[in-house]
Amino acid sequence: MRRRIRRFRAYLRISGVSEISRRYFVMNSFDGIMVMLGIIIGSYVTGAVNPRVVVGAGVGAGVAMGISGFSGAYLTERAERLRRLRKLRKAMLSDLRQSMQDDASKAASLWVAFVDGASPALSALVCMSPFILVLVGLIPIEVAFFTSVGLMMVALFVLGIFLGKVSGGNIVFWGLKMVAVGLAAALVVAFLGGF
Amino acid sequence: MTIVKRLVLDVLKPHQPSIHELASKIASLHGIDSVNVSLAEIDEKTESVRISIDGGDIGIDAVRKCVEKVGAVIHSIDEVAVAKRPHQK
Repeated sequence: MRRRIRRFRAYLRISGVSEISRRYFVMNSFDGIMVMLGIIIGSYVTGAVNPRVVVGAGVGAGVAMGISGFSGAYLTERAERLRRLRKLRKAMLSDLRQSMQDDASKAASLWVAFVDGASPALSALVCMSPFILVLVGLIPIEVAFFTSVGLMMVALFVLGIFLGKVSGGNIVFWGLKMVAVGLAAALVVAFLGGF
Repeated sequence: MTIVKRLVLDVLKPHQPSIHELASKIASLHGIDSVNVSLAEIDEKTESVRISIDGGDIGIDAVRKCVEKVGAVIHSIDEVAVAKRPHQK
């Protein structure tokens, strides 16, 4: 098992997927959080906060984003990697069949697809988790709403910290920027939902 | 019966894996004591390297498979040193 993991990591290193994985992770986690923010705040301002509806819509959205993210990213990344491999084959005058580059190309596509699919689904799950607790009768719905919004802001802040580390900048500033975007989106949704 | 004690290859490889990784993979083969990889030329997609291998009993086929596995191609065998296999008492 350790050997497989080591080999997989070598493939990811060879194929240079770190940068694109980071981008997909942040962008798609952000999407997952924003979708749940829209669902939760939208249902709250319309007076229709039903935990079954929130969880149902959240699960549906999370699964759809996960499937869409995985399949879309896999097909796109595979096409790009095959193109790159074809160019390398020309330069090497070799078919590179069963080589590390061939295996790395497949591994890279799978990894990127996994990141693209899992990140929005997981972030949606985290945001809707207080409403799951309502369904099992552990907390009241008002608490779930505010906890959920709080979790979303924390998640956005953590994403901002991650971006801050990536860019080498001030992590708190990046975190606050992401939270500001989330708050702006929440206000717009609340305003539109009020009509 | 003879054994190969030294092998010098002219190899064309992609940029990845690095020459360090290539050298490590070859050095992990049975019968090889040391590997020296030096960069001769580099272009946008490929590198030409000179690989010097020393050992007690170098397997040429194993080295070729290892080089091909990392996506490299052996252009030529530039040097080889062969010795008689010592008699086992």
